[in-house]
Amino acid sequence: MRYFLTALITCLISPIALSADIDPRDLIQQAMDHWRGTSSYSEMTMTIHRPDWQRSMSMRSWTRGEKTSLVRVTEPKKDAGNGTLLDDNNMWTFAPKVNRIIKVPSSMMSQSWMGSDFTNKDISKSTDIIDQYDHKLLETREQDGHTAYVIESIPHEEAAVVWGKEVLTIRDDNILLEQQFWDQDGVLVKTMKALEIKQLGGRSVASIIRMGKVDTPDEWTEMSVQDIKFDVSHPDSLFTLSNLRNPRQ
Amino acid sequence: MNILPLKAMFMLAWRNLWRNHRRTTIMLAAITVGVWAMIFMTALMRGMVDDMLLNGIRSLPGEVQIHHPAYRDDPSINNSIAAPDEELLKALQIPQVTAWTSRVRVPAVISSERDTRGVVLLGIEPDSEVQVSFDADTIYEGRFLEDSSDRGLVIGAKMADHLETDLGKRVVVMSQDPDNNIADRGFRIVGIYKAKLASLEETYIYAGRDTVQKLLKLGDNVSEIAITSEDYRNVDNWYPRIKQAAGEGVETLPWYEVDTYLGSMLAMMDGFVLVWIIIVFLALSFGLVNTLVMAVFERVREIGLMQALGMRPSTILYQILMESLLLLLIGLLLGNILAVGTVIPLQAGIDISIVAEGMEMMGTSSMLYPALKLNDMIMANVIVIVLGLLTSILPAWRAASYDPIEALNKT
Repeated sequence: MRYFLTALITCLISPIALSADIDPRDLIQQAMDHWRGTSSYSEMTMTIHRPDWQRSMSMRSWTRGEKTSLVRVTEPKKDAGNGTLLDDNNMWTFAPKVNRIIKVPSSMMSQSWMGSDFTNKDISKSTDIIDQYDHKLLETREQDGHTAYVIESIPHEEAAVVWGKEVLTIRDDNILLEQQFWDQDGVLVKTMKALEIKQLGGRSVASIIRMGKVDTPDEWTEMSVQDIKFDVSHPDSLFTLSNLRNPRQ
Repeated sequence: MNILPLKAMFMLAWRNLWRNHRRTTIMLAAITVGVWAMIFMTALMRGMVDDMLLNGIRSLPGEVQIHHPAYRDDPSINNSIAAPDEELLKALQIPQVTAWTSRVRVPAVISSERDTRGVVLLGIEPDSEVQVSFDADTIYEGRFLEDSSDRGLVIGAKMADHLETDLGKRVVVMSQDPDNNIADRGFRIVGIYKAKLASLEETYIYAGRDTVQKLLKLGDNVSEIAITSEDYRNVDNWYPRIKQAAGEGVETLPWYEVDTYLGSMLAMMDGFVLVWIIIVFLALSFGLVNTLVMAVFERVREIGLMQALGMRPSTILYQILMESLLLLLIGLLLGNILAVGTVIPLQAGIDISIVAEGMEMMGTSSMLYPALKLNDMIMANVIVIVLGLLTSILPAWRAASYDPIEALNKT
């Protein structure tokens, strides 16, 4: 969740002033710092699209700081109650049908999160992008009256990242417009793109984000945010395993 | 006792044999082919089983292995053991031990941009590992690990195919540390190996032991210590010594207990060879008995005459047995020569790659190396002589128990 949330929240964060002399690392860092320490509550819909079917899930999500978040599915009925808790690099999922909390082991980190195009790793790895990559500002361009920065991030030699590079496009109001995942042969594998930006919770946010593989253009997952509140205070009991199992909010 | 001198008996038997040389030749051909089939097929089977066992032991690997007592049931990172202490190191110096190595062996996940696979991650000490199990010649691209702190990764060719990755690219290896936290790290692929068995290529990935220990926060602990000697059949001679030095806290096992399937395979093979030889012999014995019975029937009058002249029934019995012994000895000689003559040129290996896929399921590779064992040859020869003489007792007995008057009157 975290990686996705990072990106999501990065998109959500309100504008900050950027100096003319831009360090791409700072750009990402600032966006993340802005998100850190903040908490949020949001309601969103995840749509998984495949050539012959499509389904939607409504979910609610709580985040606090950089390392803690909780997501719970509310609709449709058969998936309701499925939840994911992230706390300090650990990830747990709960499925009411089997009434079990499962700690997501390393072997499952590369598997899909709730059947979507996001992997558990996409969801859980967060600040990795700051520390484990080398960043380079590729270009600065004007877009919709904003300045957009295109940053190329190349993972360190021993970083636990399979990608050859990632290319991030960040707008000057800190909305992540696009994140591209390239393989080591320089072929674009998948992209995460902000499709719609609007005012929510008093801020400019990317309200629809689509993740899809380049090879299969008719398979994608879309996250659309219906409602979001910032700087909500969450009780400590929210981010616990018992709350994952027995919702109290 | 008035038994004919051995020499005369031998002469008589020898001449009797060649009185009907066509029948004798056919019989000789049957014995020769039978003995050849026994020895040759046994050599082939031995070769196959040896290959399977060696492959098995090399992929286990190690003829004697030291583990945490719970490791074999649950090969997880938690069941690790300390690196060999002084006492064990000393025990490992005994002359029977040709090489030993220690390794970290944990289940892991390897992922590239395109795919993710479950594997067994081996953190190895390259110098000693090549002496125990890994065949450095199988590296067909790149290089093998250089030392135990090498930061590269060596994977199988099949695995590289599955992951759609290649030499020089980075992959991520994920596993768990003893506290159940995810331990992951990027590795650059420095070598790709091709194993005899494709299933091995898909299972094992190799990294430096120190690198893996650091990744998994293991300290100096290892998962197993593997020891190898010259001949896997003789581990019983020396492994108790290692076991004693390794102490009570760990489990020290020879290969046939680590993989009981391989162990019982070897035991079964010995039984199987015996059964095979006896089956071939049964087919052979009908021919043998028939030949001798015919030889006796043809000579009823002659035998009656000999008895009338004072030859004892027991001498006649010996006489017939001597004929059969001569026949068997000549047949065995020819059969052995033929078998050795066919096995030796084939010892470089028989290419059976046409059926390689099926053979692989059995755990053998696509080259078959016949293994001629002195024991098997001796066993075949002894069985043929002993059972051959036993079966010829029947016609000999009949010949010996003729009534001379009736026999003489037979037309």
